[in-house]
Amino acid sequence: MYGFEALTFNVHGGYLEAIVRGYRSGLLTAADYNNLCQCESLEDIKMHLSATEYGPYLQNEPSPLHTTTIVEKCTLKLVDEYKQMLCQATEPLSTFLEYITYGHMIDNVVLIVTGTLHERDVQELLEKCHPLGMFDSIATLAVAQNMRELYRLVLVDTPLAPYFSECITSEDLDDMNIEIMRNTLYKAYLEDFYRFCQKLGGATSEIMSDILAFEADRRAVNITINSIGTELTRDDRRKLYSNFGLLYPYGHEELAISEDIDQVRGVMEKYPPYQSIFSKLSYGESQMLDKAFYEEEVKRLCLSFEQQFHYGVFFAYMRLREQEIRNLMWISECVAQNQKSRVHDSVVFIF
Amino acid sequence: MESSKNGRESNEEISEKDENILSFLDSMDTYLTLMDSLSSTLRQGWLELASARHSMGASRINSTLLDLKFHRASTTLQVNEQSAGPDRELPHFTLRKWASSNNPEKNFEEAKFGEDELLKIKSNSLRRRDTSQSSEIQARSPESVGTPVSVDDLAQRERSKSLSMFGTLVSPKLRASQVSFETGTVATLFI
Repeated sequence: MYGFEALTFNVHGGYLEAIVRGYRSGLLTAADYNNLCQCESLEDIKMHLSATEYGPYLQNEPSPLHTTTIVEKCTLKLVDEYKQMLCQATEPLSTFLEYITYGHMIDNVVLIVTGTLHERDVQELLEKCHPLGMFDSIATLAVAQNMRELYRLVLVDTPLAPYFSECITSEDLDDMNIEIMRNTLYKAYLEDFYRFCQKLGGATSEIMSDILAFEADRRAVNITINSIGTELTRDDRRKLYSNFGLLYPYGHEELAISEDIDQVRGVMEKYPPYQSIFSKLSYGESQMLDKAFYEEEVKRLCLSFEQQFHYGVFFAYMRLREQEIRNLMWISECVAQNQKSRVHDSVVFIF
Repeated sequence: MESSKNGRESNEEISEKDENILSFLDSMDTYLTLMDSLSSTLRQGWLELASARHSMGASRINSTLLDLKFHRASTTLQVNEQSAGPDRELPHFTLRKWASSNNPEKNFEEAKFGEDELLKIKSNSLRRRDTSQSSEIQARSPESVGTPVSVDDLAQRERSKSLSMFGTLVSPKLRASQVSFETGTVATLFI
Protein backbone atom coordinates (compact mmCIF):
# COMPACT_ATOMS: atom_id res chain seq x y z
CA MET A 1 0.00 0.00 0.00
CA TYR A 2 1.29 3.47 -0.86
CA GLY A 3 -1.19 6.30 -0.41
CA PHE A 4 -4.45 4.63 0.48
CA GLU A 5 -5.45 4.47 -3.18
CA ALA A 6 -7.78 1.59 -2.31
CA LEU A 7 -10.06 4.10 -0.57
CA THR A 8 -10.49 6.56 -3.41
CA PHE A 9 -9.20 5.17 -6.71
CA ASN A 10 -12.40 3.37 -7.73
CA VAL A 11 -14.44 6.57 -7.51
CA HIS A 12 -13.01 7.87 -10.77
CA GLY A 13 -10.72 5.12 -12.10
CA GLY A 14 -12.36 1.86 -11.04
CA TYR A 15 -14.53 1.43 -14.10
CA LEU A 16 -11.72 2.06 -16.57
CA GLU A 17 -9.31 -0.16 -14.66
CA ALA A 18 -11.85 -2.96 -14.99
CA ILE A 19 -12.19 -2.19 -18.70
CA VAL A 20 -8.45 -2.31 -19.31
CA ARG A 21 -8.10 -5.55 -17.38
CA GLY A 22 -10.82 -6.96 -19.61
CA TYR A 23 -8.91 -5.79 -22.67
CA ARG A 24 -5.78 -7.44 -21.28
CA SER A 25 -7.49 -10.82 -21.22
CA GLY A 26 -7.92 -10.51 -24.99
CA LEU A 27 -4.18 -10.49 -25.68
CA LEU A 28 -2.93 -13.41 -27.78
CA THR A 29 -1.58 -16.41 -25.89
CA ALA A 30 1.32 -18.75 -26.63
CA ALA A 31 -1.15 -21.21 -28.19
CA ASP A 32 -2.35 -18.49 -30.58
CA TYR A 33 1.22 -17.68 -31.57
CA ASN A 34 2.02 -21.36 -32.13
CA ASN A 35 -0.92 -21.61 -34.52
CA LEU A 36 0.08 -18.43 -36.30
CA CYS A 37 3.70 -19.57 -36.66
CA GLN A 38 2.52 -22.65 -38.53
CA CYS A 39 0.55 -20.73 -41.14
CA GLU A 40 1.58 -21.19 -44.75
CA SER A 41 0.21 -17.93 -46.12
CA LEU A 42 -1.17 -14.55 -45.08
CA GLU A 43 -4.67 -15.86 -45.77
CA ASP A 44 -4.08 -18.55 -43.15
CA ILE A 45 -3.00 -15.85 -40.69
CA LYS A 46 -6.16 -13.90 -41.45
CA MET A 47 -8.21 -17.04 -40.86
CA HIS A 48 -6.58 -17.66 -37.47
CA LEU A 49 -6.94 -14.03 -36.44
CA SER A 50 -10.64 -14.09 -37.36
CA ALA A 51 -11.18 -16.21 -34.23
CA THR A 52 -9.56 -13.51 -32.06
CA GLU A 53 -10.57 -9.95 -31.25
CA TYR A 54 -8.89 -8.83 -34.49
CA GLY A 55 -11.49 -10.75 -36.50
CA PRO A 56 -13.90 -7.88 -37.20
CA TYR A 57 -11.05 -5.65 -38.36
CA LEU A 58 -9.66 -8.13 -40.89
CA GLN A 59 -12.73 -9.92 -42.14
CA ASN A 60 -13.52 -7.47 -44.95
CA GLU A 61 -10.01 -7.17 -46.29
CA PRO A 62 -9.76 -8.44 -49.86
CA SER A 63 -7.13 -10.82 -51.13
CA PRO A 64 -4.23 -10.67 -51.71
CA LEU A 65 -3.35 -9.53 -48.22
CA HIS A 66 -0.17 -7.61 -47.43
CA THR A 67 1.72 -7.54 -44.17
CA THR A 68 1.22 -3.78 -43.92
CA THR A 69 -2.55 -4.28 -44.16
CA ILE A 70 -2.55 -6.74 -41.26
CA VAL A 71 -0.52 -4.30 -39.14
CA GLU A 72 -2.76 -1.35 -40.04
CA LYS A 73 -5.97 -3.15 -39.18
CA CYS A 74 -4.62 -4.51 -35.90
CA THR A 75 -3.47 -0.99 -35.02
CA LEU A 76 -7.00 0.30 -35.66
CA LYS A 77 -8.28 -2.00 -32.94
CA LEU A 78 -5.77 -0.55 -30.48
CA VAL A 79 -6.77 2.98 -31.49
CA ASP A 80 -10.48 2.23 -30.97
CA GLU A 81 -9.85 0.82 -27.50
CA TYR A 82 -7.68 3.78 -26.58
CA LYS A 83 -10.34 6.27 -27.71
CA GLN A 84 -13.01 4.45 -25.72
CA MET A 85 -10.90 4.74 -22.59
CA LEU A 86 -9.90 8.35 -23.23
CA CYS A 87 -13.44 9.60 -23.77
CA GLN A 88 -14.50 8.19 -20.40
CA ALA A 89 -11.45 9.23 -18.41
CA THR A 90 -11.35 12.14 -15.98
CA GLU A 91 -8.37 14.07 -14.78
CA PRO A 92 -5.63 13.17 -14.11
CA LEU A 93 -6.14 9.88 -15.95
CA SER A 94 -7.07 11.66 -19.19
CA THR A 95 -3.77 13.56 -19.15
CA PHE A 96 -1.95 10.33 -18.37
CA LEU A 97 -3.59 8.64 -21.37
CA GLU A 98 -2.67 11.57 -23.61
CA TYR A 99 0.95 11.32 -22.54
CA ILE A 100 1.01 7.78 -23.90
CA THR A 101 0.43 9.11 -27.44
CA TYR A 102 3.08 11.85 -27.49
CA GLY A 103 5.76 9.39 -28.64
CA HIS A 104 3.68 8.61 -31.72
CA MET A 105 3.12 12.31 -32.28
CA ILE A 106 6.87 12.85 -32.38
CA ASP A 107 7.28 10.00 -34.85
CA ASN A 108 4.58 11.48 -37.09
CA VAL A 109 6.16 14.94 -37.02
CA VAL A 110 9.52 13.50 -38.05
CA LEU A 111 7.88 11.36 -40.75
CA ILE A 112 6.17 14.37 -42.32
CA VAL A 113 9.27 16.57 -42.13
CA THR A 114 11.57 13.86 -43.53
CA GLY A 115 9.17 12.94 -46.29
CA THR A 116 8.76 16.60 -47.27
CA LEU A 117 12.55 16.97 -47.39
CA HIS A 118 12.55 14.06 -49.83
CA GLU A 119 9.87 15.73 -51.97
CA ARG A 120 7.11 13.27 -51.16
CA ASP A 121 3.41 14.09 -51.37
CA VAL A 122 1.87 15.17 -48.06
CA GLN A 123 -1.23 12.99 -48.51
CA GLU A 124 0.98 9.95 -49.00
CA LEU A 125 2.83 10.77 -45.79
CA LEU A 126 -0.35 11.36 -43.81
CA GLU A 127 -1.57 7.87 -44.73
CA LYS A 128 1.57 6.40 -43.16
CA CYS A 129 1.27 8.34 -39.90
CA HIS A 130 0.37 6.45 -36.74
CA PRO A 131 -3.29 7.18 -35.91
CA LEU A 132 -2.55 7.63 -32.20
CA GLY A 133 -0.19 10.49 -33.02
CA MET A 134 -2.45 12.58 -35.26
CA PHE A 135 -3.33 16.18 -34.47
CA ASP A 136 -5.25 18.88 -36.32
CA SER A 137 -2.57 20.91 -38.02
CA ILE A 138 -0.21 18.07 -38.85
CA ALA A 139 -0.42 18.61 -42.61
CA THR A 140 0.91 22.17 -42.20
CA LEU A 141 4.27 20.72 -41.16
CA ALA A 142 5.15 20.36 -44.82
CA VAL A 143 5.63 24.12 -45.31
CA ALA A 144 8.27 24.59 -42.58
CA GLN A 145 11.88 25.08 -43.70
CA ASN A 146 13.59 24.99 -40.32
CA MET A 147 12.80 24.12 -36.71
CA ARG A 148 11.92 27.68 -35.78
CA GLU A 149 9.20 27.71 -38.44
CA LEU A 150 8.10 24.21 -37.41
CA TYR A 151 7.52 25.50 -33.92
CA ARG A 152 6.02 28.87 -34.85
CA LEU A 153 3.64 27.65 -37.57
CA VAL A 154 2.44 24.35 -36.18
CA LEU A 155 3.82 22.90 -33.00
CA VAL A 156 3.29 25.87 -30.71
CA ASP A 157 -0.37 24.81 -30.32
CA THR A 158 0.34 21.13 -29.76
CA PRO A 159 1.35 19.22 -26.63
CA LEU A 160 4.89 18.94 -28.09
CA ALA A 161 5.48 22.70 -27.79
CA PRO A 162 7.27 22.56 -24.41
CA TYR A 163 9.67 19.96 -25.76
CA PHE A 164 10.93 22.24 -28.52
CA SER A 165 12.76 24.67 -26.30
CA GLU A 166 15.91 22.52 -26.41
CA CYS A 167 16.11 22.16 -30.16
CA ILE A 168 14.90 25.37 -31.76
CA THR A 169 17.43 26.60 -34.27
CA SER A 170 17.25 28.45 -37.54
CA GLU A 171 19.32 25.84 -39.33
CA ASP A 172 17.71 24.27 -42.33
CA LEU A 173 16.29 20.82 -41.77
CA ASP A 174 18.56 18.05 -43.02
CA ASP A 175 18.90 14.38 -42.14
CA MET A 176 21.26 14.88 -39.20
CA ASN A 177 19.31 17.80 -37.72
CA ILE A 178 16.06 15.87 -38.04
CA GLU A 179 17.58 12.88 -36.25
CA ILE A 180 18.85 15.09 -33.43
CA MET A 181 15.44 16.79 -33.27
CA ARG A 182 13.69 13.40 -33.02
CA ASN A 183 15.85 12.18 -30.18
CA THR A 184 15.86 15.53 -28.35
CA LEU A 185 12.06 15.70 -28.47
CA TYR A 186 11.73 12.15 -27.24
CA LYS A 187 14.18 12.81 -24.42
CA ALA A 188 12.19 15.88 -23.33
CA TYR A 189 8.92 13.91 -23.58
CA LEU A 190 10.20 11.03 -21.46
CA GLU A 191 11.51 13.38 -18.79
CA ASP A 192 8.22 15.29 -18.72
CA PHE A 193 6.20 12.08 -18.49
CA TYR A 194 8.47 10.89 -15.68
CA ARG A 195 7.95 14.12 -13.73
CA PHE A 196 4.18 13.90 -14.24
CA CYS A 197 4.09 10.35 -12.88
CA GLN A 198 6.21 11.37 -9.91
CA LYS A 199 3.71 14.14 -9.16
CA LEU A 200 0.84 11.64 -9.23
CA GLY A 201 2.57 9.72 -6.45
CA GLY A 202 1.57 6.41 -4.91
CA ALA A 203 1.59 3.14 -6.84
CA THR A 204 1.41 4.96 -10.18
CA SER A 205 4.64 6.79 -9.46
CA GLU A 206 6.42 3.67 -8.26
CA ILE A 207 5.42 1.46 -11.17
CA MET A 208 5.69 4.03 -13.93
CA SER A 209 9.10 5.24 -12.69
CA ASP A 210 10.45 1.74 -13.09
CA ILE A 211 8.97 1.29 -16.57
CA LEU A 212 10.04 4.72 -17.83
CA ALA A 213 13.54 4.33 -16.37
CA PHE A 214 13.90 1.10 -18.31
CA GLU A 215 12.67 2.87 -21.44
CA ALA A 216 15.23 5.65 -20.95
CA ASP A 217 18.04 3.15 -20.45
CA ARG A 218 17.03 1.14 -23.50
CA ARG A 219 16.98 4.28 -25.62
CA ALA A 220 20.44 5.21 -24.39
CA VAL A 221 21.77 1.80 -25.45
CA ASN A 222 20.06 1.95 -28.85
CA ILE A 223 21.31 5.48 -29.53
CA THR A 224 24.83 4.35 -28.64
CA ILE A 225 24.76 1.28 -30.86
CA ASN A 226 23.11 3.05 -33.78
CA SER A 227 25.58 5.94 -33.63
CA ILE A 228 28.69 3.75 -33.75
CA GLY A 229 30.56 4.57 -36.95
CA THR A 230 28.47 7.68 -37.70
CA GLU A 231 29.34 11.37 -37.60
CA LEU A 232 27.55 11.94 -34.29
CA THR A 233 30.11 13.23 -31.81
CA ARG A 234 30.44 11.95 -28.26
CA ASP A 235 29.09 15.21 -26.85
CA ASP A 236 26.07 15.14 -29.13
CA ARG A 237 25.48 11.51 -28.24
CA ARG A 238 25.65 12.31 -24.52
CA LYS A 239 23.09 15.12 -24.98
CA LEU A 240 20.53 12.67 -26.39
CA TYR A 241 20.46 10.49 -23.24
CA SER A 242 17.61 11.16 -20.79
CA ASN A 243 18.46 12.62 -17.38
CA PHE A 244 17.01 9.76 -15.39
CA GLY A 245 17.18 6.00 -15.29
CA LEU A 246 19.50 3.44 -13.80
CA LEU A 247 22.31 4.40 -16.16
CA TYR A 248 22.13 8.10 -15.27
CA PRO A 249 24.69 9.62 -14.86
CA TYR A 250 27.72 7.33 -14.70
CA GLY A 251 26.51 4.75 -17.19
CA HIS A 252 25.80 7.52 -19.68
CA GLU A 253 29.36 8.84 -19.35
CA GLU A 254 30.72 5.43 -20.26
CA LEU A 255 28.20 4.80 -23.03
CA ALA A 256 29.05 8.15 -24.62
CA ILE A 257 32.64 7.00 -25.24
CA SER A 258 31.81 3.43 -26.34
CA GLU A 259 32.98 2.61 -29.85
CA ASP A 260 31.70 -0.93 -30.32
CA ILE A 261 29.10 -3.38 -29.03
CA ASP A 262 31.55 -5.10 -26.67
CA GLN A 263 32.29 -1.82 -24.88
CA VAL A 264 28.54 -1.26 -24.55
CA ARG A 265 28.24 -4.75 -23.07
CA GLY A 266 31.03 -3.93 -20.63
CA VAL A 267 29.15 -0.86 -19.43
CA MET A 268 25.77 -2.59 -19.11
CA GLU A 269 27.05 -5.64 -17.28
CA LYS A 270 27.96 -3.46 -14.32
CA TYR A 271 24.23 -3.03 -13.68
CA PRO A 272 22.60 -6.22 -12.29
CA PRO A 273 19.17 -5.75 -13.94
CA TYR A 274 20.87 -5.67 -17.35
CA GLN A 275 23.32 -8.50 -16.79
CA SER A 276 20.61 -11.05 -17.58
CA ILE A 277 19.86 -9.29 -20.88
CA PHE A 278 23.44 -9.26 -22.10
CA SER A 279 24.16 -12.74 -20.82
CA LYS A 280 21.83 -14.03 -23.56
CA LEU A 281 24.06 -12.52 -26.25
CA SER A 282 27.38 -13.79 -27.50
CA TYR A 283 30.31 -11.40 -27.81
CA GLY A 284 30.15 -9.04 -30.75
CA GLU A 285 26.50 -9.87 -31.40
CA SER A 286 23.78 -7.26 -31.39
CA GLN A 287 21.11 -8.94 -33.49
CA MET A 288 19.22 -10.48 -30.56
CA LEU A 289 19.58 -7.44 -28.31
CA ASP A 290 16.25 -6.00 -29.41
CA LYS A 291 14.42 -9.20 -28.56
CA ALA A 292 16.15 -9.41 -25.18
CA PHE A 293 15.07 -5.85 -24.36
CA TYR A 294 11.51 -6.50 -25.52
CA GLU A 295 11.33 -9.61 -23.32
CA GLU A 296 12.49 -7.64 -20.30
CA GLU A 297 9.99 -4.87 -21.05
CA VAL A 298 7.12 -7.35 -21.40
CA LYS A 299 8.05 -8.92 -18.07
CA ARG A 300 7.90 -5.52 -16.32
CA LEU A 301 4.65 -4.56 -18.06
CA CYS A 302 2.96 -7.83 -17.07
CA LEU A 303 4.09 -7.36 -13.46
CA SER A 304 2.27 -4.01 -13.32
CA PHE A 305 -1.05 -5.88 -13.58
CA GLU A 306 -0.28 -7.65 -10.31
CA GLN A 307 -1.16 -4.48 -8.43
CA GLN A 308 -4.39 -2.54 -8.34
CA PHE A 309 -5.42 1.10 -8.11
CA HIS A 310 -2.80 2.71 -10.30
CA TYR A 311 -2.56 4.10 -13.85
CA GLY A 312 0.37 1.92 -14.85
CA VAL A 313 -2.01 -0.76 -16.13
CA PHE A 314 -3.18 1.58 -18.91
CA PHE A 315 0.35 2.26 -20.09
CA ALA A 316 1.22 -1.41 -19.78
CA TYR A 317 -1.78 -2.49 -21.81
CA MET A 318 -1.00 -0.07 -24.64
CA ARG A 319 2.60 -1.24 -24.75
CA LEU A 320 1.65 -4.90 -24.65
CA ARG A 321 -0.73 -4.42 -27.56
CA GLU A 322 1.99 -2.67 -29.52
CA GLN A 323 4.28 -5.62 -28.80
CA GLU A 324 1.57 -7.97 -29.98
CA ILE A 325 1.24 -6.01 -33.23
CA ARG A 326 5.02 -6.20 -33.67
CA ASN A 327 4.80 -9.96 -33.19
CA LEU A 328 2.07 -10.22 -35.81
CA MET A 329 4.10 -8.07 -38.20
CA TRP A 330 7.13 -10.32 -37.80
CA ILE A 331 5.17 -13.55 -38.19
CA SER A 332 3.48 -12.15 -41.31
CA GLU A 333 6.82 -11.13 -42.82
CA CYS A 334 8.35 -14.56 -42.18
CA VAL A 335 5.34 -16.31 -43.70
CA ALA A 336 5.24 -13.97 -46.71
CA GLN A 337 8.97 -14.43 -47.34
CA ASN A 338 8.82 -18.18 -46.76
CA GLN A 339 11.28 -17.94 -43.86
CA LYS A 340 9.30 -19.71 -41.16
CA SER A 341 12.45 -21.11 -39.61
CA ARG A 342 13.31 -17.58 -38.48
CA VAL A 343 9.92 -16.77 -37.02
CA HIS A 344 11.02 -17.29 -33.41
CA ASP A 345 13.93 -14.84 -33.81
CA SER A 346 11.76 -11.89 -32.84
CA VAL A 347 8.45 -13.12 -31.43
CA VAL A 348 8.08 -12.22 -27.75
CA PHE A 349 5.42 -14.21 -25.93
CA ILE A 350 3.34 -12.13 -23.56
CA PHE A 351 1.77 -14.96 -21.58
CA MET B 1 46.72 -44.66 -94.27
CA GLU B 2 43.94 -42.43 -95.37
CA SER B 3 41.50 -44.21 -93.11
CA SER B 4 43.81 -43.81 -90.10
CA LYS B 5 44.13 -40.11 -90.97
CA ASN B 6 40.34 -39.85 -91.13
CA GLY B 7 40.14 -41.77 -87.84
CA ARG B 8 42.55 -39.28 -86.16
CA GLU B 9 40.56 -36.36 -87.46
CA SER B 10 37.28 -37.79 -86.25
CA ASN B 11 38.91 -38.47 -82.85
CA GLU B 12 39.99 -34.85 -82.74
CA GLU B 13 36.50 -33.69 -83.65
CA ILE B 14 34.98 -35.90 -81.00
CA SER B 15 37.47 -34.69 -78.43
CA GLU B 16 36.72 -31.07 -79.37
CA LYS B 17 33.02 -31.70 -79.04
CA ASP B 18 33.58 -33.38 -75.71
CA GLU B 19 35.48 -30.34 -74.54
CA ASN B 20 32.66 -28.09 -75.66
CA ILE B 21 30.12 -30.20 -73.83
CA LEU B 22 32.22 -30.23 -70.68
CA SER B 23 32.67 -26.48 -70.89
CA PHE B 24 28.93 -26.01 -71.31
CA LEU B 25 28.19 -28.24 -68.34
CA ASP B 26 30.75 -26.32 -66.28
CA SER B 27 29.04 -23.06 -67.22
CA MET B 28 25.65 -24.50 -66.31
CA ASP B 29 26.98 -25.63 -62.95
CA THR B 30 28.49 -22.22 -62.35
CA TYR B 31 25.27 -20.48 -63.36
CA LEU B 32 23.12 -22.60 -61.07
CA THR B 33 25.51 -22.14 -58.16
CA LEU B 34 25.55 -18.38 -58.65
CA MET B 35 21.75 -18.24 -58.91
CA ASP B 36 21.46 -20.25 -55.73
CA SER B 37 23.87 -17.94 -53.97
CA LEU B 38 22.12 -14.82 -55.26
CA SER B 39 18.75 -16.13 -54.16
CA SER B 40 20.10 -16.89 -50.71
CA THR B 41 21.74 -13.47 -50.40
CA LEU B 42 18.59 -11.64 -51.46
CA ARG B 43 16.42 -13.68 -49.08
CA GLN B 44 18.78 -12.76 -46.28
CA GLY B 45 18.65 -9.09 -47.30
CA TRP B 46 14.85 -8.99 -47.33
CA LEU B 47 14.64 -10.68 -43.95
CA GLU B 48 17.17 -8.27 -42.48
CA LEU B 49 15.12 -5.39 -43.87
CA ALA B 50 12.01 -6.81 -42.20
CA SER B 51 14.01 -7.23 -39.00
CA ALA B 52 15.14 -3.60 -39.18
CA ARG B 53 11.53 -2.53 -39.70
CA HIS B 54 10.50 -4.60 -36.68
CA SER B 55 13.25 -3.00 -34.61
CA MET B 56 12.96 0.64 -35.71
CA GLY B 57 9.23 0.76 -36.37
CA ALA B 58 7.10 1.02 -39.50
CA SER B 59 7.13 4.83 -39.42
CA ARG B 60 10.91 4.91 -39.79
CA ILE B 61 11.25 2.34 -42.56
CA ASN B 62 8.66 2.61 -45.28
CA SER B 63 8.49 3.47 -48.95
CA THR B 64 7.23 7.03 -48.36
CA LEU B 65 10.65 8.02 -47.03
CA LEU B 66 12.47 7.16 -50.25
CA ASP B 67 14.10 10.22 -51.74
CA LEU B 68 12.49 11.38 -54.99
CA LYS B 69 15.07 14.07 -55.62
CA PHE B 70 17.37 13.52 -58.56
CA HIS B 71 20.71 11.97 -57.60
CA ARG B 72 23.36 9.99 -59.38
CA ALA B 73 23.43 6.23 -59.13
CA SER B 74 26.01 5.16 -56.62
CA THR B 75 26.71 1.90 -58.44
CA THR B 76 27.10 1.66 -62.20
CA LEU B 77 28.08 -1.07 -64.63
CA GLN B 78 29.81 -0.24 -67.88
CA VAL B 79 30.22 -2.80 -70.66
CA ASN B 80 32.78 -2.16 -73.40
CA GLU B 81 33.93 -4.25 -76.29
CA GLN B 82 37.68 -4.78 -76.30
CA SER B 83 39.77 -6.32 -78.98
CA ALA B 84 41.19 -9.71 -77.99
CA GLY B 85 42.94 -10.48 -81.25
CA PRO B 86 42.20 -10.44 -84.98
CA ASP B 87 38.47 -10.69 -85.65
CA ARG B 88 37.70 -11.19 -82.00
CA GLU B 89 36.17 -8.86 -79.44
CA LEU B 90 35.43 -9.64 -75.83
CA PRO B 91 33.09 -7.72 -73.52
CA HIS B 92 34.83 -5.89 -70.70
CA PHE B 93 32.84 -5.18 -67.53
CA THR B 94 33.56 -2.29 -65.19
CA LEU B 95 31.60 -2.17 -61.93
CA ARG B 96 31.85 1.11 -60.04
CA LYS B 97 30.49 0.96 -56.49
CA TRP B 98 29.75 3.82 -54.15
CA ALA B 99 30.77 6.62 -56.49
CA SER B 100 30.77 9.90 -54.60
CA SER B 101 27.67 12.00 -55.27
CA ASN B 102 29.82 15.13 -54.80
CA ASN B 103 32.50 14.02 -57.23
CA PRO B 104 31.11 11.31 -59.49
CA GLU B 105 34.32 10.94 -61.49
CA LYS B 106 36.09 9.71 -58.38
CA ASN B 107 35.16 6.06 -58.03
CA PHE B 108 35.91 4.55 -54.69
CA GLU B 109 35.54 0.89 -55.52
CA GLU B 110 36.05 -0.23 -59.04
CA ALA B 111 36.27 -3.75 -60.32
CA LYS B 112 37.27 -4.40 -63.89
CA PHE B 113 36.74 -7.78 -65.41
CA GLY B 114 37.28 -9.05 -68.86
CA GLU B 115 35.17 -11.98 -69.93
CA ASP B 116 38.15 -14.33 -69.77
CA GLU B 117 38.89 -13.33 -66.19
CA LEU B 118 35.30 -13.90 -65.22
CA LEU B 119 35.36 -17.37 -66.76
CA LYS B 120 38.61 -18.15 -64.97
CA ILE B 121 37.26 -17.00 -61.62
CA LYS B 122 34.15 -19.09 -62.12
CA SER B 123 35.94 -22.27 -63.15
CA ASN B 124 38.51 -22.03 -60.34
CA SER B 125 36.18 -21.24 -57.52
CA LEU B 126 32.80 -22.72 -58.25
CA ARG B 127 32.79 -26.45 -57.65
CA ARG B 128 30.58 -26.29 -54.61
CA ARG B 129 27.17 -24.88 -53.83
CA ASP B 130 27.21 -22.92 -50.61
CA THR B 131 26.42 -19.45 -49.41
CA SER B 132 30.03 -18.46 -48.92
CA GLN B 133 30.17 -18.07 -52.70
CA SER B 134 29.03 -14.46 -52.70
CA SER B 135 31.54 -13.33 -50.10
CA GLU B 136 34.30 -15.07 -52.04
CA ILE B 137 33.31 -13.31 -55.24
CA GLN B 138 33.32 -9.96 -53.52
CA ALA B 139 36.66 -10.65 -51.91
CA ARG B 140 38.35 -11.43 -55.20
CA SER B 141 40.01 -8.64 -57.09
CA PRO B 142 38.36 -5.25 -56.92
CA GLU B 143 40.87 -2.68 -58.05
CA SER B 144 40.67 0.23 -55.72
CA VAL B 145 41.36 3.79 -56.70
CA GLY B 146 43.33 5.54 -53.97
CA THR B 147 44.75 4.05 -50.78
CA PRO B 148 42.83 1.06 -49.31
CA VAL B 149 42.05 2.81 -46.00
CA SER B 150 40.63 5.96 -47.60
CA VAL B 151 38.59 3.91 -50.10
CA ASP B 152 36.94 1.94 -47.27
CA ASP B 153 36.21 5.07 -45.27
CA LEU B 154 34.71 6.92 -48.19
CA ALA B 155 32.71 3.89 -49.30
CA GLN B 156 31.39 3.55 -45.76
CA ARG B 157 30.46 7.22 -45.81
CA GLU B 158 28.56 6.80 -49.06
CA ARG B 159 26.79 3.76 -47.62
CA SER B 160 25.70 5.79 -44.59
CA LYS B 161 24.61 8.62 -46.85
CA SER B 162 22.37 6.37 -48.90
CA LEU B 163 20.77 5.06 -45.70
CA SER B 164 20.25 8.56 -44.32
CA MET B 165 16.79 8.75 -45.90
CA PHE B 166 15.69 6.48 -43.04
CA GLY B 167 17.49 8.63 -40.45
CA THR B 168 21.08 9.08 -39.37
CA LEU B 169 20.93 6.69 -36.42
CA VAL B 170 19.74 3.46 -37.98
CA SER B 171 19.81 -0.05 -36.65
CA PRO B 172 22.77 -2.34 -37.49
CA LYS B 173 20.17 -4.65 -39.06
CA LEU B 174 19.42 -2.06 -41.73
CA ARG B 175 23.13 -1.70 -42.47
CA ALA B 176 23.42 -5.50 -42.71
CA SER B 177 20.53 -5.52 -45.14
CA GLN B 178 22.31 -2.92 -47.25
CA VAL B 179 25.46 -5.05 -47.35
CA SER B 180 23.43 -8.10 -48.39
CA PHE B 181 21.86 -6.28 -51.31
CA GLU B 182 25.25 -4.88 -52.27
CA THR B 183 26.65 -8.42 -52.31
CA GLY B 184 23.71 -9.47 -54.44
CA THR B 185 24.54 -6.73 -56.95
CA VAL B 186 28.07 -8.08 -57.37
CA ALA B 187 26.76 -11.63 -57.70
CA THR B 188 24.39 -10.46 -60.44
CA LEU B 189 27.38 -9.16 -62.39
CA PHE B 190 28.98 -12.60 -62.34
CA ILE B 191 25.75 -14.22 -63.45
